[in-house]
Amino acid sequence: MENTDSLDNLVAQVQGLSGCTEDLAHLASILKQSEEAISAKGAPRLHIAISLLDPAVHSLGYLFFLDAQSCDPLPKDQAEEFLNTAIHFINVCSKDQIQLAPEKFTMLCKSMKESALQLNSPMRVVLPLHNAILKLQPSPQYLTALHAEFFLVCVLAKCYTSASVVLEEQIFEIDPKKCLITPKDFLLYCYYGGMLCIGLKKFAKALEFFHHAITAPATVLSAIVVESYKKFILVSLIENGQVPSFPKYTPAVSIRYLKTCTQDYLELANSFSTRNISDLQRCVASHEDAFKKDSNLGLVKQVVSSLYKRNIQRLTQTYVTLSLEDIASTVQLASPKDAELYILRMIQEGEIFAVINQKDGMVCFHEDPEQYKTTDITQRLDEKIRQIISLERKVTSMDEHISCDQAYLSRVGRDRSRYDLEDYDLVPQKMFQTS
Amino acid sequence: MSSDDDMEVMDPPNVEAEEEQEQQKEKRKPQETSTLSLSSKTKEHSQEVSNDQMDIEAYASLYKKRTKVSRLLFIANHCNNEAMELEALRMAHEEICKGENTSHYKEVCEKINGRLGPAFTLNQEWIDTVDRRAEQRLERLEIELNGYKTNLIKESIRMGYNDLGDFYNERGDLQQAFKNFVRTRDYCTTSKHIISMCLNVILVAINLGQFHHVSNYVAKAEQTPDNLEPLIVAKLKVAAGLAYLENQKYKLAARKFVETSPDLGASFNDVIAAQDVATYGGLCALASFDRAELKSKVIENRNFKNYLELVPEVRELIHDFYASRYASCLGYLQKLKTNLTLDIHLHDHVESLYTLIRHKALIQYTTPFISVNLNRMADAFKTTVVGLEKELAALIMENQIQARIDSHNKILHARHADQRNGTFQRSLQTGTDFERETRAMLVRANLLKHDMVVRGTRK
Amino acid sequence: MTVPVIVESMAAHQEAMEKTIVSLQEAINARRFGELASMCETFELEMAAKGLEKPSDWPYALHLLGHIYISDLNGARFLWKRVPSAVKQGQPELVAAWKIGQCLWTYDYAGVHEAFKGYSWSPAVQQIVAAIKDEYSKKNMILLSTAYSTISVTDAAKFLGLTESETIKSTTQNGWTLDSSSNMLTAVPMVTATAQKLDSSKLQDLTEYVFSLEH
Repeated sequence: MENTDSLDNLVAQVQGLSGCTEDLAHLASILKQSEEAISAKGAPRLHIAISLLDPAVHSLGYLFFLDAQSCDPLPKDQAEEFLNTAIHFINVCSKDQIQLAPEKFTMLCKSMKESALQLNSPMRVVLPLHNAILKLQPSPQYLTALHAEFFLVCVLAKCYTSASVVLEEQIFEIDPKKCLITPKDFLLYCYYGGMLCIGLKKFAKALEFFHHAITAPATVLSAIVVESYKKFILVSLIENGQVPSFPKYTPAVSIRYLKTCTQDYLELANSFSTRNISDLQRCVASHEDAFKKDSNLGLVKQVVSSLYKRNIQRLTQTYVTLSLEDIASTVQLASPKDAELYILRMIQEGEIFAVINQKDGMVCFHEDPEQYKTTDITQRLDEKIRQIISLERKVTSMDEHISCDQAYLSRVGRDRSRYDLEDYDLVPQKMFQTS
Repeated sequence: MSSDDDMEVMDPPNVEAEEEQEQQKEKRKPQETSTLSLSSKTKEHSQEVSNDQMDIEAYASLYKKRTKVSRLLFIANHCNNEAMELEALRMAHEEICKGENTSHYKEVCEKINGRLGPAFTLNQEWIDTVDRRAEQRLERLEIELNGYKTNLIKESIRMGYNDLGDFYNERGDLQQAFKNFVRTRDYCTTSKHIISMCLNVILVAINLGQFHHVSNYVAKAEQTPDNLEPLIVAKLKVAAGLAYLENQKYKLAARKFVETSPDLGASFNDVIAAQDVATYGGLCALASFDRAELKSKVIENRNFKNYLELVPEVRELIHDFYASRYASCLGYLQKLKTNLTLDIHLHDHVESLYTLIRHKALIQYTTPFISVNLNRMADAFKTTVVGLEKELAALIMENQIQARIDSHNKILHARHADQRNGTFQRSLQTGTDFERETRAMLVRANLLKHDMVVRGTRK
Repeated sequence: MTVPVIVESMAAHQEAMEKTIVSLQEAINARRFGELASMCETFELEMAAKGLEKPSDWPYALHLLGHIYISDLNGARFLWKRVPSAVKQGQPELVAAWKIGQCLWTYDYAGVHEAFKGYSWSPAVQQIVAAIKDEYSKKNMILLSTAYSTISVTDAAKFLGLTESETIKSTTQNGWTLDSSSNMLTAVPMVTATAQKLDSSKLQDLTEYVFSLEH
């Protein structure tokens, strides 16, 4: 398109080329070429141009014109208007069209989020951002740059439960070409995801998120990773009673520096491992400022409470009966009544199996009555097997991909002498099998 | 190590010393005085150092040379009992005067500090004479060695270094002795030489307390191609056993000691007495062997039986342990404890060995039963039910005993893992772990595939 | 072309509100209490996305009780956190509803019962409160009978939110026995039946798994 052509001309192009797939591909390239020209036009003219387009029908063009508006820092009233327009656009736009310009769409959504934060109402974009993710994703397995934004907004708006669906989605594909995601977006996705899971008390899932952040390939130590590791330590103690060592694929830079950045937390973990409540409380007290500064104090308190539970659980492994008084003194609870309440709470949550005898002041501990004979268990097993089979398929397909990968093959070829010839021959064979 | 038998045979009670003790008793705190006397009235409140007063003279007579002095000094330093301390120092003094180690002499005189009368004050004249004579001898030895070196007579050089090693050893300069013995290595021409070198080095290293050298040189000696004489083999075993003991490898130590042939006799008493082989070996074996090993390697071991006969308490307590007579076994152990804590090699390990043995006894006691009455068990282990409960709880938590305690009725119930449930639990857990790890791996693989690496340059 | 909603008319706003109330009422009438929380949440977010201010009588209490009904205390907790403080002051019923959640959160069994009794609930939430209360009492009774072999009448009464004589009456009906000298109740555990049978369709699954393993 000639640069001299006015906005009207572009609008006409958008109106004319929003039909079939080929036209849209053509339109996408026209729009990309005209990007500068579009943003050069002032807001009033863009406003008029937009009014001529239908966001549902001319989504691709609408996207470019709308995004150009957001380029300027917006005054408050305009931010309001922009926010409304963007939210409406995301609701009605065509998934196929915006996927032709994932970069633009991502930027628009980020501007939308900024406007909402500027207006101090993060809740307004909770639903729209969720929608945006669904429209941007080629399939639910894709991670987008909007995931982190969505999570952040959920945290800010205290809409933790609204994030559940997205949290549960298993993410495998992280493709910067399709979803315009950066390593930082990935780390933030992990960090905010972990935070949401902590709020929802899904500790195992939170650990997974933090684990991803800590082990993500890196050549420098990111502050996000450091914060993730702090929470990882605390949640590990709550969930598993100990902090695992780094897996061997952890980036060297994390292994080298993470521990020095998280001394307070590692001391806490150390003190936790002694199983001594008063030690742990002393440790908490001496590092309280650091924990407060990191806004982890609430989590730290849960760590302390989990040690009581863990110590009681250990007693159930050791005793058939034990007096409430002995329990209180062994786990350092103030009184037998406190011990009774703790135990009752744990029975209620299914964390232990016990019967309290108030008359004798005794507790009778039972073993897990689960006999693994119910249909419920079979169903659980079944589900697990299915999940693992589908995971297995993914691994196989990835393995095949790598086996055919040019870079991999040339690498293996170079190292040929180091491998047994027979092993080497397996590679092409595998290729034949899959084709 | 002293034993009741030794005491009776070898030494009449030291009347003088006892009187002295009785006098001192008045001035002392009860728990200290209680250890002084053999009389039965103080026996009840004996604590740390128990009723069986160590017979130092009998003990010392088992050793010679440096180890005798070291052991006596060790007792003097650790016994917390002045009469005993002085007795040990007196004997150390006597032994030192036979040799040329003037620094030891000064040390012991200083420690005695006039408490044993004028005969035991520092004799500077004696020191000067011995030092002068030693200086002359050193000079001569060095001249001789230099002569051999210029003439390049290999065997003479070796002898020269050996003489120097012996000289320094006598004088108590162990570092120099060690160096000179090690230097002979380059001049060894036969296996015999090598073995003699190794034994010299081992001896000095033991006295130095450098047990890694001991293990090294034992290995070197064992690598020589010739068949070793039984006595040498026995010495090497004992040395290796000591090295393992120091490293808290009690099982390996036990194996070495119980394999020691009776050929050793008193021939290694500049390091260890035959009685020690029995005690060290017996205790390490109890602490680390399982029942089968205890039977085959200790109780039915003819060689080791010879050693055990020398220390009847150890023999008895091993048999008691094996026959599950725990009260008697623990009784013997308690009686032996005082003397063992005064043993130069064992004292650091007494507590841990005793704990291990007690734990093994507790475990062994509970193993065959479905349920155990804690009152009865507490009697067998000479403890209170509350104390026993704590001990058992600790062992259960360490997964050493598969049982649970009924604290209400004071019964221990054996716990049998339900294999079927366990399998279900494990498979579900494994499935969850596998899933999580595989997902993490796939995510990582995808990050790498698209070169999503956190780098410093990006913002 | 249509310009997207910038300021929705008051009428439309009103209409949306009314629609919301109607559908919530329908759910309540049909005793589909389990759906209330997510319905309310969706309405809340939709309103927010449209940039509409929620009216001062927005049914927050119902929303909160909806979370409690499905034992989603986290949901209730975060709802409470995001409700503007002006609304909290204006809706005593919301505060009363949160009192229940708070006591549940801290395992304050007696407190929960007090919270039920401590407020005269409006007709809009009466049904769900009653349902929560029923469910809670039922659960507590089961918990009590599994967690205790003997318990004092006083404590049992606290857990069940009953007077002592009511407690004795209701527990003995379940087969418990009273030792009047010590004022202790001896509990009888309630047995819950679980399905233990397998149907033949599992065989088909098994075949598939084996196939997958061998493949």
